[in-house]
Amino acid sequence: MSAAPPVPPRRSHVFPSQRLPRSTPSGVRLTALLVVLMLFLVACTSTVGSVAPTVAPPTSTSSPSAASSPTPSSTPTPVFPTTLTDDESTAVAIQREPRTIVSLTPATTEILFALGLGDRITGKGQDVFLYPPQAGSIPDVATFDSVDVEKIVALAPDVVFAGGNFFTPPDAIAKLRDLGLTVVVLYAPSVDAVYKDIELIGQVAGRTTQADAMVGRIRTEFANVKAAVAGLPTPRVFYELDATGAIYGPADKSFLAEMIRLAGGIPITTGSTDKYDISVERLIEQDPEVILMADAPFGVTAEQVAARPGWKVMTAVKNGEIRPIDDQTVTRPGPRLYRGLALLARTIHPEASIPSAQPIPPVP
Amino acid sequence: MILAGAGLVALVAVLGIGVALGSVAIAPLDTLAIVTHRLFGIDLGRTWSVSAETIVWDLRVPRVLTSLVVGTALAVAGATFQGLLRNPLADPYVLGTASGAALGAAIAVLLPVRFVILGFGLLQGLAFVGALVSIYTVYRLSRIGGLSPLTSLLLTGYAVGSLLAAGLAMAMYLSGAALRQIFSYLMGGFDTASWPQLAGTLPLVLIGCLLIMVRARSLNGLLLGEETAAHLGIDVSRERAILLSLASLVTAAAVAVSGLIGFVGLVVPHVVRLIVGPNARLVLPLSALGGAVLLAFADVIARSVGDIPVGIVTALIGAPFFIVLLRRARTGYEL
Repeated sequence: MSAAPPVPPRRSHVFPSQRLPRSTPSGVRLTALLVVLMLFLVACTSTVGSVAPTVAPPTSTSSPSAASSPTPSSTPTPVFPTTLTDDESTAVAIQREPRTIVSLTPATTEILFALGLGDRITGKGQDVFLYPPQAGSIPDVATFDSVDVEKIVALAPDVVFAGGNFFTPPDAIAKLRDLGLTVVVLYAPSVDAVYKDIELIGQVAGRTTQADAMVGRIRTEFANVKAAVAGLPTPRVFYELDATGAIYGPADKSFLAEMIRLAGGIPITTGSTDKYDISVERLIEQDPEVILMADAPFGVTAEQVAARPGWKVMTAVKNGEIRPIDDQTVTRPGPRLYRGLALLARTIHPEASIPSAQPIPPVP
Repeated sequence: MILAGAGLVALVAVLGIGVALGSVAIAPLDTLAIVTHRLFGIDLGRTWSVSAETIVWDLRVPRVLTSLVVGTALAVAGATFQGLLRNPLADPYVLGTASGAALGAAIAVLLPVRFVILGFGLLQGLAFVGALVSIYTVYRLSRIGGLSPLTSLLLTGYAVGSLLAAGLAMAMYLSGAALRQIFSYLMGGFDTASWPQLAGTLPLVLIGCLLIMVRARSLNGLLLGEETAAHLGIDVSRERAILLSLASLVTAAAVAVSGLIGFVGLVVPHVVRLIVGPNARLVLPLSALGGAVLLAFADVIARSVGDIPVGIVTALIGAPFFIVLLRRARTGYEL
């Protein structure tokens, strides 16, 4: 059974997770409520994924500060303690370079490995595809639908990376923070937000140089694919996530829709930013020229797709342009993203030559 | 007396097991030492880690205590509703409380506001308010028609409950990625249990249950029928309104922190009545004890088999036990 869309962006609101100290004297309560309201209003005006590092003044005055370095190209030394803003606009203070990390989303686990921080991950969110394979020895502390708070507390990590937009249950995030753990919430609804998240992870973990290099690499590979598909015809593409009950595809303005557009196709979307299912009627009306089966690993075949009632009128079905695709590579917002884009471009345009880049290897 | 004694022993046992077991193994001696350290300030040699202390004291103890409090609340509310409505199928949720609380929780999940004050977030707040508003609506609407008060109350409860359930279904349909959070509320559980939350719930449940127990005589009278109750000198409509409010308040406090947990409130009072008879003076306190033990025990099992929803466990243990008791009941059983 295919799960819900892995990266479902659905609303532009930002949830402030700032909370009050536990015991407030009754007189302070009203003021506290006002503060909450103000925080909420402030949060609403800022954008998702804003990364605003505010470096605390260095405590020691003797050492020459790295910030005074004249050459901008030189390696910036990560300065701790620092306060960063996560993707839910929560200001998170990082006291020192994290030695132990819990990563609750597979994408963050991948990014940490690619930054050479795999050996610092002491607990991870379950990943059914288990990438990179080295992550297999790290104990699972969360599954798709639950977080084992007790296990995370026992690991006493310096920092916990959680998924936003309900990927990690908000209750669990609140609970972890309540217990004094440092939690950074990540949520990338677009390709640019993925870049920002990689940079944010780099800042939190003290690997800013490597993170910037990784983002540079992904940008270059994206440009290569873009150049390769430039001038090619742009077919209407339906990316089928699941069709066991309703038919699920990319929502409007979603990450997936953006990827299809970058890969040289016109995405057929559900017609709403927070709706993931699409009616057969709308699909027939939109008339896909290519159908990509992200649900192929679950046993869906082109014959089955063509045999569905009503589907035979679609151009893609008439021309037999129904192809399987490895959804995990395309939709996981991590270092393999450009491989996903190249794969998408190659599957949409089988006749074109798309550069195949080597993956960013997980640093051992 | 023997029954109450056995119940108390079971209570202590489940408290011990609940604090000792979890997904992280902590030595029983360390667990004991942590609890005595935090409870009495006695240091039996600090051999445990800070994280072990957090796990035992900030996660497990409040969780077990919350399950005891919620179990008490549901069982006492269930016994009260069954007596009040003279209906063996009545449970704490029968008059629309469940749908009201669930709709409140769903709205809280959909609103783009997040805050926590004293352990209570918007979800708990709106669930509590939703439960109370729905039962108040049911009570007011039921007094308009010409039906007998009990029938009217039950049918209005059903109608309002259905309406709210439609609202809930709509909210779930629109919820997108938040569906999982609404669903986990509907299944019930104690994942969010914490000391501040317990401190907010305990007084409501405790005072509510005690006030109900003080009115056990009225409940006994109402069970005999309105006319008989009136002959016994009971102000029927006033007592009914008071008991209904108290039971609803206790239910609302319980569902706000735990979500919807079925079965405890329906079956525990019946089991108690099968053993000790229908006298509310006995049924209410023993139901409180039984509900607490059953729910805490169910939560221990739910946690140890991989954090499944506790409602599944209460039904799995409770239903067969109830059937066995029903079959062995020698005399005719009535409320």
